[in-house]
Amino acid sequence: MKKYLIIPVAILLTAWAWVSCTDFPVDEDGLLITDRAECYVSNFDLLGTDFQTVRVSAPTIDTTAQTINIKVFFGTDLKSLWPQFSLVTDAKLDPKITGFVDFSDLSNPKKWTVISGNRKVKKTYTVYVTVQEKP
Amino acid sequence: MQRKYYSITLLLLLVVFFNACKEEEYALPDAKTQLQNECIKRSLGPNVVGLDLEFVYAMALGYNAGKITSAQVEASIPGASGTYLEHRSFYTDGSGVDIPVPVGNPSVTTGAKTEVVFTKDTCAAALRYFYIIPEEARGKEVTFTFSAKASTGETVSYKMGPYQIAKMDMKLDLVLSDNNKMYLSVADMAVYNAAEAAANADKIDLVYLYRSISGITFAHALAAPAANPEYLPGITLPSGVANNTKYLKVYGLRDRHLARLQYGIYVDDVDFEKIDFTNATNYGLNMKVESGAWVETADGKYRAYIFVNKVDNSKKEMTVSVKRYAMK
Repeated sequence: MKKYLIIPVAILLTAWAWVSCTDFPVDEDGLLITDRAECYVSNFDLLGTDFQTVRVSAPTIDTTAQTINIKVFFGTDLKSLWPQFSLVTDAKLDPKITGFVDFSDLSNPKKWTVISGNRKVKKTYTVYVTVQEKP
Repeated sequence: MQRKYYSITLLLLLVVFFNACKEEEYALPDAKTQLQNECIKRSLGPNVVGLDLEFVYAMALGYNAGKITSAQVEASIPGASGTYLEHRSFYTDGSGVDIPVPVGNPSVTTGAKTEVVFTKDTCAAALRYFYIIPEEARGKEVTFTFSAKASTGETVSYKMGPYQIAKMDMKLDLVLSDNNKMYLSVADMAVYNAAEAAANADKIDLVYLYRSISGITFAHALAAPAANPEYLPGITLPSGVANNTKYLKVYGLRDRHLARLQYGIYVDDVDFEKIDFTNATNYGLNMKVESGAWVETADGKYRAYIFVNKVDNSKKEMTVSVKRYAMK
């Protein structure tokens, strides 16, 4: 009888020990901290109040200079634009985007910091918006 | 020791076996023979004045018990002209087509009551009721009492509601045309030309224009008279037309009443109350089919949702449908 009990108990204990000993570190946002050190923006878009893109063409993202240049349609309301970042795997953005952002002050471009998956590399990107001009 | 476990397992299996094989006897329930009724509401979405509330009222009694003599609906607020109770019962054939079977005389409406007197010897019928929402019901609740009488002397009734009638108004298919009927009034829910706009200057909320400018995407646009002249190229506004209307462009909000498409989305009174115009602008360029805009008039009296049904580049026209809500 003992044999029948000991084996399953031993299996369960091993499984529990395995699970409890595996360490998954998470950051203050509950996101997994990984060992990736890459830290860059791979794509960027701006959406209007109708959640449709307002960009004229693909943005120019300079990962060395850490700048994003984007041209938007003539007549775009710069006060209410929803930025959309695509980041390298496991990276996150600071500050978080929680709604429409006012880009109307073109002399003070908005900045966002990309934080790598291992949370050790931080790169601040500046977003320069230009509006398509009427010919 | 093992034998003991085998015995217990065998016993359990036997219990399961006996339970599984237990036969549940089924007996056809006896149909009720007294007069009974049931009702469902068929129309969906907010109840807008001018549209209808549609119900199906079903009544039946035992086959040999007697026949139905009349069916009646009483609304708490009399329906507008066109309100009626079907005098035909429908069934759906194999192809999905509704086939009518007349059971009585066309309904007669007296005040809030609409009645159908049966002429056919029938013990069951399902009649549709179309209540055209009257102006008097705007913003109020309306209830309905459906009732039926049988030759046996029995009477049954069924209460439906209350249903809240929306405060908003609706206007479909206003055709805006560049350089002609290009002035839209939310207050009047109408489109005007320049001369008419001058006569109703304080009520003009938006200006429609179509421009094909190389290098930029302008196309069909709506702009408040007070918008930056950059967004009103070539427009000389009629005297006094100067409202600064708040404008929030949206896309894909295909209200079923306005769009008349397959999408089950409805703009209701509460949406007008909750919409936030903090970051609103006063113009919208490149308006496409199925796009739209939330609008607030300069005096804050009205809020509206404008849906673009159709655009025509060659005619320089845009067809819009409007839902409007009085805020004050």
